[in-house]
Amino acid sequence: MGRVLVMVGSDLRQQVLDRSIFIFGLAVPLALMWVFSLIFAPLAQDLEPVTVAVSGPAEDPLTGTLAETLDGLDDAVDVTVVEADAADVPTLLADGEIGAGVLVPDGFSAALAAGDAPQVRVRLPESPGLEGEVVTAVVDGVLRQFTATARTAAAAEELGGQPQEVDAVLAEDAATGPSVRWAQGETADEQLSARESIVAGQAGFFLLFTVGFGVLGLVVEREWGTLARLLSMPIPSWWVPLSKGLSSWVLGVVATGVLLLAGSLLFDDVHLGSPAVIAVLLLAVVAAATSIMFVIAKVTRTAEQAGVAQTIVAITLGMSGGAFFRVSSEGVLGTVLQLNPVTALGRGLGITAGGGGVVDLAPVLAATGLMCVAMTALAVLVPGRRDVL
Amino acid sequence: MTTPVLQVDALRRSFGPATVVDGVSLRIDPGETVGLLGPNGAGKTTTISMIAGLLRPDGGSVHIQGVDMASDPLAAKRHLGLVPQDLAIYPELSARSNLSFFGRLQGMRGAALRRRVAEVLEVVGLTDRATGASKTFSGGMKRRLNIAIGLLHEPRLLILDEPTVGVDPQSRNAILESVEALSGEGMAVLYTTHYMEEAERLCDRIGIIDAGRVIAEGTRDSLVELTGRTDTVTLAGDGPLEEIEAAVSRIPAVREVHRITGEGRLVMVVQGAPQAISAIVATASGAGMTLRDVEISRPDLESVFLHLTGKALRD
Repeated sequence: MGRVLVMVGSDLRQQVLDRSIFIFGLAVPLALMWVFSLIFAPLAQDLEPVTVAVSGPAEDPLTGTLAETLDGLDDAVDVTVVEADAADVPTLLADGEIGAGVLVPDGFSAALAAGDAPQVRVRLPESPGLEGEVVTAVVDGVLRQFTATARTAAAAEELGGQPQEVDAVLAEDAATGPSVRWAQGETADEQLSARESIVAGQAGFFLLFTVGFGVLGLVVEREWGTLARLLSMPIPSWWVPLSKGLSSWVLGVVATGVLLLAGSLLFDDVHLGSPAVIAVLLLAVVAAATSIMFVIAKVTRTAEQAGVAQTIVAITLGMSGGAFFRVSSEGVLGTVLQLNPVTALGRGLGITAGGGGVVDLAPVLAATGLMCVAMTALAVLVPGRRDVL
Repeated sequence: MTTPVLQVDALRRSFGPATVVDGVSLRIDPGETVGLLGPNGAGKTTTISMIAGLLRPDGGSVHIQGVDMASDPLAAKRHLGLVPQDLAIYPELSARSNLSFFGRLQGMRGAALRRRVAEVLEVVGLTDRATGASKTFSGGMKRRLNIAIGLLHEPRLLILDEPTVGVDPQSRNAILESVEALSGEGMAVLYTTHYMEEAERLCDRIGIIDAGRVIAEGTRDSLVELTGRTDTVTLAGDGPLEEIEAAVSRIPAVREVHRITGEGRLVMVVQGAPQAISAIVATASGAGMTLRDVEISRPDLESVFLHLTGKALRD
């Protein structure tokens, strides 16, 4: 097996001499991380605190409920509710003292109970931001629920219910408020901040190019004739793809590790967790990415074909794995597309960033192991060149 | 009886419906250079790929130094040096690094490897360019490095697959001289080419291959005999032509002599003109001929191929 290491060492040396690995494995992804960070990170920042002025009739129960609902949105956006006269709202908005004004008409609760449709107006500044959108959506949702409850009560009364009972239902509804509450969801990969997601996504995306430098060298060496020469050597033929796989693995681990480290150092607020746990994650994810390259090496005949196939695979897996933007993983197709090294890296880093250890990574490591086995089996079984696989 | 370095029996290989190699048999003894001469697509490279263990034959067997390639490929490959038709070198590495890398894969190590690398660099004339990246080499230098890698571990059998393709005349000559020297050192050489002059110059025996079959095999002269044509030697000069004719007629290799008195020429049909020419010239001079011109005309392997297949070698 010492001769496998000789081949790996020679391969790595040639990659260093060629210098392409530095360009496509490090420089380009770092540059793209920086660009994406500038473009996307501000859009994905947490919502700013907002002050909402509520103007409405005193002692009106549903107005009070509406105000309480807005005040209780702290999980999603930090809202401070103040009372104000309707006439003052435009001035407060213009002065920037409030981020939104909610104008509730007189007789609001009574009108609702009577089956009318009183108009509640939401006043926003010229550039309301996401915070204004959230306030508007919440007011809209609360009003819809009030309306639905009022209509249900009216229907019950028409069907023979006692007015006192219906009023009691309305009063109870007013007291408890809407049953649906806003909260900021966090799945595993969403534990990463926007910048962390960019770093993880780009590292995963470019990993699919970096690992090609080793395994896809099989296709290049077919063209050079060196593959024939290697196979004429007194070594088991399977040592050749093994050495290429190891080269890819080493290049992938080093390049991705450097990218994650550089991302952590270069960008603010990027904390990916324990380096040791990340290293374990990297070893597994890079192995999965490498196994995909064997399938490409098997089915392509020229280096040009291999390069095109690698790009298509990288973009497909990168996009479905959330390298550029988060994607839905609903449905069977979504689940299948999520089974890729980019997703695994993002999820794994989400776990490590949240303080998870190797045990917490078990599902991700199992998934990458499955990918390795499946892709290697596919590379052996799929029709194609049979010189090394 | 000596164990042949290479023994190939009834080798067959098909790709889909096309039979590319159809029952090729070969034997090469130590120190022998055997050529496989045939046009492009004749099956030379496929035959070599099976001999080198790169391709599994559909039938037949390959033994190198008595070791069966099918049952013990690693042992068989230890005796084998392959020089592929492609420039099988790593362009980013220097000549020395290329050699060291392949030497290590052959199991060579340390001082022995360094010494042997220096030796083969000297043999192929690349000592002065040992450290520069091979991608900066000329085509001829790359070809020489390609051969050096095949020689490095001093194999019993060296397979050269069209080693002079795309090489300038100077480098070609250097390569041919190297191959000549190797057979002199006892190495068995299998040399494929579609250049008949290379086959004539290098090979002790030549197998003519066409459409996957060896259609004739033997020494150059025995192959030429198949055409029914012989060598011709023409002497032009002054002197007593009748006496000179009588004198040269007594040389065993000279089969027929035709005298053209008006032109002062003798035209002879000769068996093995290159070997007999010195005797012919000496005899004619001794008989009083003052030579103005000597011309040898030989039927070549091109005419053999044409005779056997009805088509030209480079069709």
